[in-house]
Amino acid sequence: MSSRLALSRGFSTVLTWLSPRRRLVWLLGVAVLVVATATVLRAARQAPVSQPIAFNHLIHTRDLELGCEFCHKYVRSGAHSGLPDAENCSLCHRVQLGTSEEAAKLTKMINDGEPLQFNKLFRLADHVFYTHRRHVGIAKLECQNCHGAIADTEQPPTRPLVQITMNLCLDCHRKRELTVDCNACHR
Amino acid sequence: MRERARIVTRWGMVIDLDRCTGCVACEVACKSENNIATVPPDQAAMGRAKSWMKVVAEVEGEFPDTSLHFYPRPCMQCDNPPCVKVCPVAATYINDEGTVAQIYARCIGCRYCANACPYTVKYFNWYGPEWADSERQHLNPDVSVRPKGVIEKCTFCHHRLQQAREDARAEGRVLREEDYQPACQEACPTAAIVFGDLENSTHRVRQLKDDPRSMRLMEDLGTAPKVYYLRPRE
Repeated sequence: MSSRLALSRGFSTVLTWLSPRRRLVWLLGVAVLVVATATVLRAARQAPVSQPIAFNHLIHTRDLELGCEFCHKYVRSGAHSGLPDAENCSLCHRVQLGTSEEAAKLTKMINDGEPLQFNKLFRLADHVFYTHRRHVGIAKLECQNCHGAIADTEQPPTRPLVQITMNLCLDCHRKRELTVDCNACHR
Repeated sequence: MRERARIVTRWGMVIDLDRCTGCVACEVACKSENNIATVPPDQAAMGRAKSWMKVVAEVEGEFPDTSLHFYPRPCMQCDNPPCVKVCPVAATYINDEGTVAQIYARCIGCRYCANACPYTVKYFNWYGPEWADSERQHLNPDVSVRPKGVIEKCTFCHHRLQQAREDARAEGRVLREEDYQPACQEACPTAAIVFGDLENSTHRVRQLKDDPRSMRLMEDLGTAPKVYYLRPRE
């Protein structure tokens, strides 16, 4: 007898111990538990992020050799790096560049004066106080340290390429003998 | 890195009671700097009001020879903090620079520390913070908004230290005494509050703490506070 069969036979034996009514209650209970677990797990996982324009990082970073700072303007000076707005894109895209549908869509948006709002992909919890200025502006870290190969993507990722966890921060801080004081990030 | 570790820093405060007029500017500045939520009057009557910096009025002497003194009372940032000893989850601890920190995300709200603190400067959030929409826009983004069920306390405006350090590093210079000032000191119109590094002989607090008028609250408990008071002159 395979172990699987034994298990299912064991389960049905357990069920026969209970009266039909109890059996229903038990089954319902198990079902509720499964649904609740699934809901919690799904909520814990970040919802997929969509973007108004299917931005191609690779063309901009490799072919055009634009620096990250060209669009993420505050990456050296601010807490947040900033996302490009229509004005930023219009520096080049006021007239249509290339033949892609997305480029045409972008040019149309710019010329129609439609607002362009990219969505944040990498998010930290509310109780984490991080500044790009300290890490990129002062410590001169490379973006891929935390953001992975985002510069080489051809389609906007819907989930972060790197899960930024506290261990990721601490590993680096320990390696470089930097502060591991809780208060440095949590306050 | 090694070099940095050798420099000992202990942030401390000296409050001159002769200069304090009890205007409560420090209290207001602290509340607005640190996103301290207000509580309804009935809750305040139950002792649930939060005020990291609190101006306590003391009447001394016997009638008719009485005098009124104000004691601005922040967290004493003890070198030997009783609150740290009782915390079961290490949410409150004393860091390398002597500041007693509270990590809200780790706090389980048991309130042991609030009961252990002889200065009663640890405040529990009985309710989630409530602000009018107009007030919400004035919240300080450098300080978290504490949720319901955690303890909060004065941090010597630790976020200002981080900002000052960041500015100093960006400009490639060392941190100066005037770079890091807590909100209460900045707001004090009579300069009764002096703040700085107790280990640095160039800082004013270092000289003032050795003043003959210097004293600390409940010194006999052995908590070794880093907040010193200068007794009023007779």
